Amino acid sequence: MAFIDIAGIGKRFGKVFALHGVDLAINEREFITLLGPSGCGKTTMLRLLAGFLIPDAGSIKVSGRLYSSPRGTLPPEQRRMGMVFQNYAVWPHMSVFENIAFGLRIAKTTRGEIARRVARVLAAVGLDGLAERHAHQLSGGQQQRVALARSLVVEPTILLLDEPLSNLDAKLRERMRGELKILQRDTGITFIHVTHDQAEAMALSDRIVVFNKGAVQQVGTPREVYERPTNLFVADFMGQVNKLPGTVVATSGGRARVRVGAQTIDVELSASRKRSDASVTVAIRPEAIRLGAADAGAAANVLRGRLVESAFLGNIVEHHVDVDGMLVRVQGDRRQGIAAGSPVELSIPVGDCVAMPSETD
Amino acid sequence: MQAAARLGASPDAPLDAQAQPGRRIGGQTVVLGLAVAVLLCLVGYPLAWLLFGAFGLPQSFGLEHLERAFTRPQNFAALLNTVQLALGAGSMSILIGVPLAWATARTDMPLRRLIHALVALSYITPPYLTALAYIILLGPDAGQFNRLLRALFGFASGPINIFSMPGVIFVIGIHVFAFTYFLTHSALKSVDAALEESAQMLGAKPWQTTLRINLPLVAPAITGGALLAAIESMALFGPQAIIGTPAQIVFLPTRIYATIGGYPPRWGEASALSLLLVVLTVAGLALQRGYLERRSFITVGGRGVRSRRTALGHWRWPLFAFCLLLVFFSAIAPLGVLTLTAFAKSWTEPLSFANLTLQHFFTALSEDQVAVRGILNSFKLATAAATLAVLIGAAVAYLDVRTSARGRRLLDYLAILPLGLPGTVMAVGILLAFIRMPLPIYGTLSILLIAYVARFLPLATRSANATLRQIDPSLEEAGRATGASWWGAVKLILLPLARPGLLVAFLLVFIPAFGELSATILLYTGGTETIAIAIYRLNDLGQLEVVSALAVFTIAVVLTLTAVVSWLSGAGPAFAETPTRG
Repeated sequence: MAFIDIAGIGKRFGKVFALHGVDLAINEREFITLLGPSGCGKTTMLRLLAGFLIPDAGSIKVSGRLYSSPRGTLPPEQRRMGMVFQNYAVWPHMSVFENIAFGLRIAKTTRGEIARRVARVLAAVGLDGLAERHAHQLSGGQQQRVALARSLVVEPTILLLDEPLSNLDAKLRERMRGELKILQRDTGITFIHVTHDQAEAMALSDRIVVFNKGAVQQVGTPREVYERPTNLFVADFMGQVNKLPGTVVATSGGRARVRVGAQTIDVELSASRKRSDASVTVAIRPEAIRLGAADAGAAANVLRGRLVESAFLGNIVEHHVDVDGMLVRVQGDRRQGIAAGSPVELSIPVGDCVAMPSETD
Repeated sequence: MQAAARLGASPDAPLDAQAQPGRRIGGQTVVLGLAVAVLLCLVGYPLAWLLFGAFGLPQSFGLEHLERAFTRPQNFAALLNTVQLALGAGSMSILIGVPLAWATARTDMPLRRLIHALVALSYITPPYLTALAYIILLGPDAGQFNRLLRALFGFASGPINIFSMPGVIFVIGIHVFAFTYFLTHSALKSVDAALEESAQMLGAKPWQTTLRINLPLVAPAITGGALLAAIESMALFGPQAIIGTPAQIVFLPTRIYATIGGYPPRWGEASALSLLLVVLTVAGLALQRGYLERRSFITVGGRGVRSRRTALGHWRWPLFAFCLLLVFFSAIAPLGVLTLTAFAKSWTEPLSFANLTLQHFFTALSEDQVAVRGILNSFKLATAAATLAVLIGAAVAYLDVRTSARGRRLLDYLAILPLGLPGTVMAVGILLAFIRMPLPIYGTLSILLIAYVARFLPLATRSANATLRQIDPSLEEAGRATGASWWGAVKLILLPLARPGLLVAFLLVFIPAFGELSATILLYTGGTETIAIAIYRLNDLGQLEVVSALAVFTIAVVLTLTAVVSWLSGAGPAFAETPTRG
């Protein structure tokens, strides 16, 4: 049995279903990210895990022990989880030291022990020398570290992080991202992280859980979710994608021949496609497409079109190519220059073309 | 917290075995039920009795009281006078308030903050004290200002008689114009300069910009303020009685007072008249709410708003002189004359060193029994009322802000309701409700306490509500996640953070309760006089010097506490960074 076992969780606020039928198994020492747009239910899931909300259906078990069910929940203070809030929630009426010592004092730890453990965790998060500061004397990044230290000092087995990086500026965000990853590896704590930033999710996580409209869309490693999205929503949310409407001509195993415009290509079939669907949408990432003839020997599709325009974006050049009236975005080498209006060939590995149902829901 | 205790017994056991229905809501339900019960007793029960009383209950049932409320000539006159007063004071509030607001908000007039503070002072001063001051200033014969006018221009008598309808409107107007002033001031401040500059770029002259951009933008605030001023003017028993009654001009509150004070007291008629006053008030408030909703097109709050001041050039000082003249009448003259009178051996004698004395303060603060008792009672009552109101208000606010308990909206509504009720009406309801009850509180301080808590509960509730809203719930949740129980998080995190705000709530109740007159006048008996009653009665006895000494004392208390409030509200830099709702 998994470390954390979430089964059939449902939660409603008034008439709005925030979550329905969520099943999820989380392993010990895993860095897992709940990813999705705002209002998708990911924060509700996190607050259910923390014990601030009571589910309307389903159960949450940790190490086989029931934590939450509609009939009752273990209150947050008895779950021995840590939580880092989006706004850090550093208590403004306490110093950094007092903030971090709070949990230890509640647990009636001796003074010497408190001093020792706070000093250790302060060093671990790089806040030495700031113990006597108050919240308003700290930068956003420092408040973030206080919030982390406060949760870590009580040595939880699970740490919940609610968009911890979203209030930091871009550079600091990148640095904290690295530190979080290292912290998780070093402490062996199970991190459950909520974000709407897919790049952050991919950089940090062992596995990603994509949420939309209160339901889990896909669970998988960053690579699986990015390269093999199960539906259009996931494909769209994880990054830029070309969505080409097509019709299935023939299928064999997990692959199919699909007519796109006036041309046909070979594609992978996504797991969510129903057998009966003849019309599908083929998702292709812009960076998977190469401008020019395919390498000999590789199993690649070829689409013929006409270059509409190219935009120089610094590290790459983005080309817009008209393929039988459909606009296809291609990310190409910045040194590659082709005149607008020229006929071009696009080569795409078969494994990078995924056919899925056209409807997102 | 119940769940914590229940489930906390052995967190290692599966929850299924011990979880019971009811969850954490158990504790909340108790608090909610208690709050509803207290509010119903304080607010709902007296109001119900008011309604019953107007229909003649419990002795009989009929419409004769309501009918009499309209047809009896004295009552009809009172209604007409009240409406006239409301219209007069409302118009006056626009005439004084809007130019002052424009001068302080949108021009480079010198000493704008002084003028602003003096407007606040005219509002803080209890209006019955302003009325007393104007008796000293504009009494038909002995009034200081009248004597000055006679000396300057050789009038044979008068020339101004404060004991008249214009006199009442004037005295009340210089108090209630503050509503129009403050609403207009903040509306003008929140008009972004870009809106005016756009008009200018399209060729509008400054006066055209003012007329076609600024005025329409702030018009709802002006109207809303004037309506509030009109509503408030109807409820001000003090000046209506102190100036209106000697001139034999009755208003609804003074008429209600007379119907109950006469023998035998006519309860039914008083209830009917009270209902009439409530209807006028509620109609006004509904109108006002409508106007304020139309304010939505202004960037309320003014965050990031750049506002521009008109450069007046040569007109800076003349405009200042004009504004100073207005606040001279509303604040400087009344407070000045009360102070001078309090220190004068005889108020009709001219000011000189020989005429100075501290005797009146001695009389007021230690000799006169009623005055001394009044001061003590006022301190006791205001402290108790403020404490209770903050306790109830904080509970109501917590339920509203922090929980999703059903019924919390109704609770909030009940706690805000008294805001729309004149003190006189409240007192009639409380009299009717508690005079019959087997609760022996009539004639004790308790009945006054009930009235004060009920009247000023909205102030505490709104203040506590605003305080709790500013404290992000994640701060308490972080405490829970770190191992604190519900009560632990409230005690160690919420209360320390809310303390300055709750202290402000306490003072916001204490200040008006300390000088309360309109409900007290109907509820006090011998022995339960307050400072306002002492002032009112000594004024009837003509002891204006002792009255002035008491007035100066009252104003000193009120001003000191108001200063503490604004210091507290502006302070708290350590908490300035409290995260707000993300």
